[in-house]
Amino acid sequence: MYPLRAKVNESYLKSVEAMRAGKPTVWAMLNWYYGDPILKAMDLEVVYPENYGAALAATGFAQPYLEYADADGFPTHLCGYSRATLGYTSKMMRELGGEIPAEAPLGGMPKPIFLMASSAVCDARYKWFQALGRYMDVPVWTLESPMPGVKELFLEGARERMVELGVRHLEHFVAFVERITGRKMDWDRLEETVDLMIEVNRVWHEVNELRKARPCPMHSRDFWSAMPAALFMMGDLRDSLRCFQDMYAEVKARVDNGVGAIADEKYRLVFAELPPWHSLGFFDRLAERGWNFVVESFGYRPPIPLDLSGVGNTLERITRFGLQTFVGYYEDARDEHVPAGALAYPYLKYAGEWKCDGALLHPLISCRSASTHLPYVASLLRERLKVPSLIMEGDIVDLRLFDPEDALARAEPFEESMQHYRGVRRQEGLDW
Amino acid sequence: MPNDSRGLAKAKQVYQERSRRARQLRAEGSRVIGYPCVYVPVEMLSALGLVPYRTYGDIREPVTEADRALPTSFCPFMRSCFDCALKAKDDFLDGMVVAHSCDPQEKTARLWESYVGYPYFHFMDVPGTVRPEAVEYFGGQLSDLKATLEAFTGQELTVERLRSAIQFHNEQRALVKELYELTKPAPPLVSGTEMLQVVKALMSLPVAEGNDLLKEVIGEVQGRTTGGPELKPVRLLVWSSTLDDVAIMEILESGANVVMDEGCGGMRAYRGEVKLTDEPMDGLARHYMDDITCARTFRQGADGETTKEYSQDLEKRFGYLKDVVEEWSINAAILLLVRYCDPFAFEVPSLRDYFDAVGIPSIYIEYDYAEGALAPLRTRVEAFFETIG
Repeated sequence: MYPLRAKVNESYLKSVEAMRAGKPTVWAMLNWYYGDPILKAMDLEVVYPENYGAALAATGFAQPYLEYADADGFPTHLCGYSRATLGYTSKMMRELGGEIPAEAPLGGMPKPIFLMASSAVCDARYKWFQALGRYMDVPVWTLESPMPGVKELFLEGARERMVELGVRHLEHFVAFVERITGRKMDWDRLEETVDLMIEVNRVWHEVNELRKARPCPMHSRDFWSAMPAALFMMGDLRDSLRCFQDMYAEVKARVDNGVGAIADEKYRLVFAELPPWHSLGFFDRLAERGWNFVVESFGYRPPIPLDLSGVGNTLERITRFGLQTFVGYYEDARDEHVPAGALAYPYLKYAGEWKCDGALLHPLISCRSASTHLPYVASLLRERLKVPSLIMEGDIVDLRLFDPEDALARAEPFEESMQHYRGVRRQEGLDW
Repeated sequence: MPNDSRGLAKAKQVYQERSRRARQLRAEGSRVIGYPCVYVPVEMLSALGLVPYRTYGDIREPVTEADRALPTSFCPFMRSCFDCALKAKDDFLDGMVVAHSCDPQEKTARLWESYVGYPYFHFMDVPGTVRPEAVEYFGGQLSDLKATLEAFTGQELTVERLRSAIQFHNEQRALVKELYELTKPAPPLVSGTEMLQVVKALMSLPVAEGNDLLKEVIGEVQGRTTGGPELKPVRLLVWSSTLDDVAIMEILESGANVVMDEGCGGMRAYRGEVKLTDEPMDGLARHYMDDITCARTFRQGADGETTKEYSQDLEKRFGYLKDVVEEWSINAAILLLVRYCDPFAFEVPSLRDYFDAVGIPSIYIEYDYAEGALAPLRTRVEAFFETIG
């Protein structure tokens, strides 16, 4: 697992160097595979302000930038990552004439040639980039990302219309990137990139399937370390594929030998949504109590594998793969009558298939899209699977809102709750 | 209030007892379909004889039930709407159509469908942009809506029926614009409070009844010699995501004539008209994506171009407001948002830049969708009026 994380870090540093040397850079939102393979095939450096916002928070540099955003009139209840980036850009463009602020951690984010937004998951992820227009005259491309209702997906022709939208939209996007960079798309390279993207995610999916074993051979901390190489496609994809294959072998060996990720697995848990990046050591403290986090946040996991070998058009393969992230669980969700097929239903599946004793839900004050569904998730898990939830509030930027000590103080009573529900599940005929 | 009231009195009565007519129609055999946002193409409901009924929250109703499923730091308007639904305040509805017009609405739709057992429920996806392929995709979403409505009603939504409904709704748009013409004089002939009552009444009635009401109101207001608004020093434009209670409007009108409500309970739903295209759904798709100036839709100066210029961008997003400012002789603007309204909140600094550019003083005020928010709202509004006075 660790070579992969090292490669992600190495790739990040190389990217920073290239950007500082003047290589064209794109600021991108997490786009769930729709845009990244195109940027990668066009050899553009990509920086993700969502990630950078987290880095600013974790390194303690967010606060001054938040104050810039406040002073510029952005409401304080907006997404913390967006406010940090807006403040950063305000300072970079208005005070420093486009120079990266000297104090910016991790090399900073240089002025991009365009902004790649995404309509997926929340409004902030395109309104935020639009709002950056106050500071820099940089065009925004908002990637369309359909988000159908569960039963509506199965109406005649509905899915194919989404694919049609995606393909036409990506054709226009490729043409846009070609115009703005003055480069032509190398379609063979794109095809190879997409093949690798799909394969990396397939292997990554299989690794996570292995975590159903008891004891669970891989902990959430390793998931979060490896995730950027698959979801953000950070680093060289061929390298990443080799690392994920090695990871599969390593995890499989652990399963075969009954080796758990923690010393004594007493409780198996599902985690949702974004983790407290600044306090990941908190998971170690829980591990000492026998808490093994065996499955986690839907939006960061690879899509359920889909056979796309018969799809010749590369843009169509991208579209179907990206769409699968959100609708991959819809058929089961429809059959089990859960209209929230994307954000809520997967947790029902995870808790059931990974045999979880509890859920740790982490709502974030200034990231409402990653929090809205959590009370509903708690209710679904308790009612349908007799799995209790522990809700610990935090935030993506304001680190004071998550108190690891307070959270740990709530661990023991929650263990009693998990024990209690084990008995309830047995009475209900559930097998864990 | 007598049942045979007319014009503004009737609008006020409908506003105060919004569900009364819908309940009556249902008792007579009509089916009533709720919708929480103006992105739902009401023409398609009307064409099938369904009664479109805009669902709102209630600032006077403490949110209690919605806490079961929604966090507290979440759009207070949607929390209130959902709370009212859980308390069966909309129990006369035969169904709901919810559009993906913003993230809170999309998320709440899933819960609505889970927790409230409507006989009919449809979720419409709405693309983020107005690119041609996105508008075409939205047309496909309308086809899906058509399919489920036909299955629910057992009727075919024919081109003829849809054209007829579009004409009725276009007439309503034209009549609302005609009524807004009457806020142009100084003092205006009709107040912001009255306009709000009328618009909210329209969203509670079948379209033909709404049009009759509008004609009565227009005639009454045109003939007004007394009883209209007093002249105030400020001619105010209110830009909002949601302004649906006269108590809020009355605060704004304490020191101003509100001559334009740029909200989805005001002019936003009635700007433009649906073009009667050969295939009426094309015209509907174009209208809803293009003409509704909601912040949720991404627009930029030269979409798809490789250069961008901020002033051009502002013009594309807010340019329609310049004409409004000139024609209605507006001299101040309040950007009034419910807390946590992200699509609109991201617009605030840019919109204020635009108002600065056209010489209009503005202020941003956010409030919780609750009765307790009225007092602080009054303080901030009064302070703004003093500042610009």
